Amino acid sequence: MSVGIPYPQALARWRAAAPAAAREGALPVPDLLRGFHPDHRPGAMERLAVGIGAGLDCPAALAALLQADSLLEDVDIAGAPILDADVLVIGGGGAGCVAALSAARAGARVTMATKLRLGDGNTVMAEGGIQAAVGADDSLQHHFEDTLRAGHFAADKALVAALVGDGPAAIRWLIQEGMSFDLAEEAGHAGRPMGGLLLRKKPGGATRARLLSYRDFTGLEMMRALREATLLQPGITILERHPALELLSDDRGRCAGAVLHDLALGRPVLARAGATVLATGGAGRLHIAGFPTSNHYGATADGLVLAYRLGAALREVDSFQFHPTGIAWPTHLAGTLVSEAARASGATLVNGLGERFIPELAPRDVVAAAMLREIAEGRGVARDGAVGLFLDTPGLERERPGILRHGLVTLTHLAHRGGFDPAEEPFLVRPTLHYQNGGVAIDPAGRTGVPGLLAAGEVTGGLHGRNRLMGNALLELVAFGRRAGAAAAGAARDERPRNVGLTHLADWRRALAAQGLPLSRKAPMVFPPYGNFDIAAARGRAA
Amino acid sequence: MTDAATTAPHDADGIGLVFDGHAIRARPGSSLLQAWIGAGLPLTENVGCMGQGACGACRVLVRREGERLAGTALACETLAAPGMQVAFLDHFPATRPHGYALRELTDSWTAVDRIDAVFPEARHCRHCGGCDRACPKGIEVQRMVNTAAAGQPFTAAALFDRCVMCNLCVAACPEHIDPAHLGQFVRRLGASLTLRPADLIARLREIEAGHQPIDPDAPGANPPATGAPPANPSPASPPPANPSWAPGDDPGAAAGRAVPPGRVP
Repeated sequence: MSVGIPYPQALARWRAAAPAAAREGALPVPDLLRGFHPDHRPGAMERLAVGIGAGLDCPAALAALLQADSLLEDVDIAGAPILDADVLVIGGGGAGCVAALSAARAGARVTMATKLRLGDGNTVMAEGGIQAAVGADDSLQHHFEDTLRAGHFAADKALVAALVGDGPAAIRWLIQEGMSFDLAEEAGHAGRPMGGLLLRKKPGGATRARLLSYRDFTGLEMMRALREATLLQPGITILERHPALELLSDDRGRCAGAVLHDLALGRPVLARAGATVLATGGAGRLHIAGFPTSNHYGATADGLVLAYRLGAALREVDSFQFHPTGIAWPTHLAGTLVSEAARASGATLVNGLGERFIPELAPRDVVAAAMLREIAEGRGVARDGAVGLFLDTPGLERERPGILRHGLVTLTHLAHRGGFDPAEEPFLVRPTLHYQNGGVAIDPAGRTGVPGLLAAGEVTGGLHGRNRLMGNALLELVAFGRRAGAAAAGAARDERPRNVGLTHLADWRRALAAQGLPLSRKAPMVFPPYGNFDIAAARGRAA
Repeated sequence: MTDAATTAPHDADGIGLVFDGHAIRARPGSSLLQAWIGAGLPLTENVGCMGQGACGACRVLVRREGERLAGTALACETLAAPGMQVAFLDHFPATRPHGYALRELTDSWTAVDRIDAVFPEARHCRHCGGCDRACPKGIEVQRMVNTAAAGQPFTAAALFDRCVMCNLCVAACPEHIDPAHLGQFVRRLGASLTLRPADLIARLREIEAGHQPIDPDAPGANPPATGAPPANPSPASPPPANPSWAPGDDPGAAAGRAVPPGRVP
């Protein structure tokens, strides 16, 4: 990382300049993105040489995992205990819970395997809200067009139509599961639950107010309801601390479940199933291009690796969302998100020279690129080894007294955890790896190209194109969790796998060898390297 | 914890503490979770969101230097301090006896009876305050339990607004009330029985009647004809055409800002 202007000096400049003026020398947006967005950095991408996606570009850190060998040999699963179910759901976040609930209610016996604890994923961390076109001034068509445009028209229209068409029903379903939503005030009074109107906010990049929320912890409220519902649902067996290491295949190339790893006992378990739903989430913990992440600890792209090795196509895996305002300092909070609400309320971004450098509410990819330019060109603020830019919360408080205490409660709480007063001292922020825009290609029922393998949630691609609209991730996990869960229950009834094993690995290893790729590199990663647990080496031991 | 724990080293270069029996040093400013991995110890459980304080997975028992009693906390939100003694509190199994089917609770006249039926122990609260002390979010857990048992589920639900599902109150309760799950029960009951937004219902009726068609060929559903962004831009031609910023522009003002392509002005 380049050096920046020392913090005391930068702070003095910021104080002297307040309110900061804009600096000269803004770059045209295409140049800015090409020059500074992490997706476009020279050498950032590597072309896949092996598998169904050979020729696709993706970040080098991801390519290394996608083109790695399996952790398992046949001998590893010989004699392993076997669990049979109709549907196996891999992943215990929002999409996994919704898929498991939907499959179980469709009559399937469900096994749900999760690497960490039920509910520990990115869903619970979502702050902003969930999109659904319920306003009288809004329509499914508006939501459809907004989503396509935000994604630079790279999304699959059939998937987007399914997503937005399911929106209102997804909200009803969540209410039936016991999730609360904020209501609009009526003539100065709190909204009435019965017959009132939902509170709607306008997400960046949308043409209508469509973001529904529960305070500024919508994901937590959602996950609480989903977690209780899943725990209480008859027909779901939950296996916590059971990451999937490989998908099982049958002799016709159908997905037949997965080899799970029981961390507590240090041994494999064969979870055989008629249909398998991947709901393993994203890849933030790969720290692509060296970025910190707002993602949870388990976001290590395991699902992409497993699906790809079995022959499921991927798409837009070269496109990631970097959220502009992650914490840069204090370092123990590095990567933690400062909600976009701060900038939406009027907080400005200021460099180490006391200058503004970008309209703060430009699209996320543009703001992030502009921030990285400031840092790269030495105008960042350096503090305790971290380099970032100021998010001017004291300036905001001066403009709108009381907003920090009453409007931006989570932000203020975050500052206090960082040991400073956001009314006196600006945040030090830098872009943080936030979301995997692409993923496993699916159809509107959540089916991948591999028979018996479905997917839902962040692991999938095609819904967001090359940039996701705020609020569509929570909607996606409900809409496609329901679709994939129901389709999986149906698929499990149709046909059962036979001669189940790891037959696909022979072809895979031949392909790696043919391309001169090493068999020594193993994936999935399961835990990030700084977790001090190497699944390849420590697999035989109880953890 | 061992006796060695009480003599954890204070180091000029780092903070000495004892974590699950390991005497470790942490960088100043580290959270307990960061201190754990910074010491090279394997992290395969007791972790989720890793810093946001939203998931309740990283429960720890903490005794600070000079204090007699240990308290509970979240490891991602608590900074390492000299002489601390820390232990992860394991993961509680997800099996539980308080079963109910929310979708069958449709009669709001008898909903309050269901609190007694599903959580009969809630009336046995002995007011020990253990749940209040255990909660890392400062929720008035005991008051929630008492309010729910008194038949006021919505008041109780509001008290549980900030719950992060760490289940420390469940572990702390000597009467097996399962306050965390009671809290979710009253919250879910409130939403599922009473939340009926008029705009949502109106839109659902329109969709069911076929009055909300989606036209995939509408002009706004396709790249604009002129200055069109490529459908799948390569790294050589990045997503284009957001206007650059002329210095001095107020970013909120329309003046000086072109309308992004395809955007309804």
